[in-house]
Amino acid sequence: MKLEIQNVSKKYQRNTYGLKDFSITIEKGILGLLGPNGAGKSTLLKMIATVNKPTQGIISLNKNNIAKDANYMRKQLGFLPQDFGVYPNLNAYEFLEYMAAMKGIGGSNLKSRIHQLLNGLNLIDAAKKPIGTYSGGMKQRIGIAQVLLNDPKIIIFDEPTVGLDPEERVRFRSLISDLANDCIVILSSHIVSDIDTIADQVAVMKNGTLITNGNQDYIINTVSSKVYETTIKKDDLVSFKLKNLVVSTSRKNENLQVRYITESPTSNSVQQIATLEDAYLYLTKNN
Amino acid sequence: MKSFVTIIKLDYLQRTRSYSFLITLCASLAIAYTFVPEPNANYSTIRIADYVGVYNSAWFGYVTAIMTSIFLSLIGFYLINGNIKTDIDNRVGHIIAATRIRNLSYLLSKVLSNFMLLLSIVGVVFVMSIILFFLYNAGYSFEIIHFIKPYIFITLPAIFFIAVIAVVFEVLFEKYTTLQNILFFFLFSFLVLFSSKNENQFLFDVFGNKVVIQQMEEQVKNITKSDETKSLSIGYVLGNVKKANTFEFNGVDFSTSFIISRFIWIGLGLGFIILLTPFFNRFNKENNNTKKATIAQKPQGVKEIMLSVIPKVTENYRILPLLKTEFFLLFRKGKKWLWIINIIGMLLLAVLPLKIAYQMALPIIWFLQVHRISDITTRELTHNIHYFTCTSYRPMTRLLISKLCSAILLVLLLASPLLIRLSVSLDFLSILTIVLGATFIVMMATWFGLLTRGKKLFEVLFFMLTYTNINGIAFVDYFGGYEHQKFYVVQLALLVIVVTCSCFILKKYQLEK
Ligand SMILES: Nc1ncnc2c1ncn2[C@@H]1O[C@H](COP(=O)(O)OP(=O)(O)OP(=O)(O)O)[C@@H](O)[C@H]1O
Ligand SMILES: [Mg+2]
Repeated sequence: MKLEIQNVSKKYQRNTYGLKDFSITIEKGILGLLGPNGAGKSTLLKMIATVNKPTQGIISLNKNNIAKDANYMRKQLGFLPQDFGVYPNLNAYEFLEYMAAMKGIGGSNLKSRIHQLLNGLNLIDAAKKPIGTYSGGMKQRIGIAQVLLNDPKIIIFDEPTVGLDPEERVRFRSLISDLANDCIVILSSHIVSDIDTIADQVAVMKNGTLITNGNQDYIINTVSSKVYETTIKKDDLVSFKLKNLVVSTSRKNENLQVRYITESPTSNSVQQIATLEDAYLYLTKNN
Repeated sequence: MKSFVTIIKLDYLQRTRSYSFLITLCASLAIAYTFVPEPNANYSTIRIADYVGVYNSAWFGYVTAIMTSIFLSLIGFYLINGNIKTDIDNRVGHIIAATRIRNLSYLLSKVLSNFMLLLSIVGVVFVMSIILFFLYNAGYSFEIIHFIKPYIFITLPAIFFIAVIAVVFEVLFEKYTTLQNILFFFLFSFLVLFSSKNENQFLFDVFGNKVVIQQMEEQVKNITKSDETKSLSIGYVLGNVKKANTFEFNGVDFSTSFIISRFIWIGLGLGFIILLTPFFNRFNKENNNTKKATIAQKPQGVKEIMLSVIPKVTENYRILPLLKTEFFLLFRKGKKWLWIINIIGMLLLAVLPLKIAYQMALPIIWFLQVHRISDITTRELTHNIHYFTCTSYRPMTRLLISKLCSAILLVLLLASPLLIRLSVSLDFLSILTIVLGATFIVMMATWFGLLTRGKKLFEVLFFMLTYTNINGIAFVDYFGGYEHQKFYVVQLALLVIVVTCSCFILKKYQLEK
């Protein structure tokens, strides 16, 4: 399994790019895509999922150009779009059967696989009700079930944890790590905690370009000796923010405790262990 | 007040800034072109016995205004209805429900934006009629007043009333779109046929054309010096009508009471809306339903899916399972009670005299499936499923074909009693044309769906096609109900093939993009 993305650009209108000269190579494992709103995450994922074609550049899976041979990709693909709908009058079983028929899978095991997926995603009690009556998180889980219907080798989740409650998030994460054994999983998010414990590789992007890409330690290293914590007066916060990149603030009695990133810390600062969140903020703010 | 205007403006923009509206405008232009027949054309639109007017300003202005008033009332309803439903579908409904807008303002804004939409079409037709006047230049002087007057007093109140009716129906019958469509058709037929000879009753004529027609009739009577009622025809009368005599029509001086009556129609429409406001549930109904049905989740221990142990599925890229599912989806679509009507229709096909079953019952039963087939290619867009469909395996050869086949099968299933009767009498040519007709309708739905990314245009066209067919116009017979030679079947087959091919080319092109 080798997914290569070479110099890919996507032009939406004249002079507006969703993605610009983007290159990355993925060989099995989990890739986490991080980036603020409008960074181009969905644009990239939709192109990998053969929804759109790149304006420039080549996306290839095992040396097959998927713009030319989209069905090669589609055969092994599981895709959860960011913004998807359902047929509201079908129940969960029917919808998944429909999806299975579309994906071209069947066989005697299909029914029991659907049953177990619904069971595992905690949807079994609602499975006979029309999907139109589902809550947002339940709908999201139907989308996840749909991804796992076949045995996909390339799995793309665009903001999978949107709308999931904390318990379901935990469950989703363990699901993903179980998946990653022999396939490629790409998931996007702008929430660092969704990615930091599970991704083997992290790519940070902004404004349609790749800022950096590597394993988590590599990315955290970019800020490793630059994260500090200090206490300041409430009124000083505005001027402090102007001079430093503040990651977080918390109340501490009358004062504020701030965590910030800097090369030259103020005198009473204490150095902290850097996290992926620090690195992400540093990279997206400073570039 | 300012925000009210903004709402109407934005609603209007949202609806007109679409490709399908552009196509609708073009279609209206094409239709308007036929309102005043080209001098050598072999059909007539408005004709009193053997007389038509000379091609002066008044004739152009009044004839096009009357034709617009009638046609746009019929077709316009189908173009504009479903406006509130769109808000629900776009999930804007809940946001609107949570804003401070009053029900009355909301409904009024819908009426006005409906009206604006129709008004745009009227505007296009109006300009077209002036262009036609100069195009067929018969040497008469151009008097703009003969164009403006009939449009203002005849056409505008009529389409305003239709804009109201569309909203009224939607509030009263909510999600029963098919019911709305059928009821409006009956209402329209009633209003058109409600003929009144008495001067006072002109006031009851929504379309406002009787008063003009009567004036024309009087004039013709004066020429022929006969007192019998003249056979009058409005609408498209085909065939080689023998050369008509002409008379000079110079417009109508509308009486004050007529003008007031036109304003009364507008006031009546507004009154309806005010009366209905308490019945408008402000998207609540849907909420309630959901609440009732929303599933309370039992807390339970966290189950994990062990992907490695759950049963493996086999790949099956054959088309049959997909076809089965698509057929099932189509079958289940819409309200269940419609199937009662369908079954009654199928019984009628089995027992009615063959000719009536074939020429009347069949196209009507097929038309009743309009909601099932009209969104055959746009359904995935409106439900936001298209990401799934376009990343599925071989979306063209598997998905599109199974969609189309399932729709054709469904349509043929409905025709099956007739098909059985025909095969008993060994009329295989008719069977072939019915199959071709079924294919034709499904392909048209696909074609217009792909082209306009909406279902409205097809629905309107299908309606017109059905309407003309049950009125016995053999020219538009797409299912072979009328006497035809073999050659006609060949032509039909060729047409179906051309439409089918262009569907696939269009779809392929769109997938590429
Ligand atoms: N269909 C489109 N037409 C025009 N521009 C688009 C289209 N889709 C996306 N864009 C633009 O491309 C850029 C990237 O959008 P994209 O949806 O990929 O961002 P994203 O990283 O997924 O953001 P989010 O976190 O909000 O989902 C944005 O600037 C957006 O405005
Ligand atoms: Mg996105």
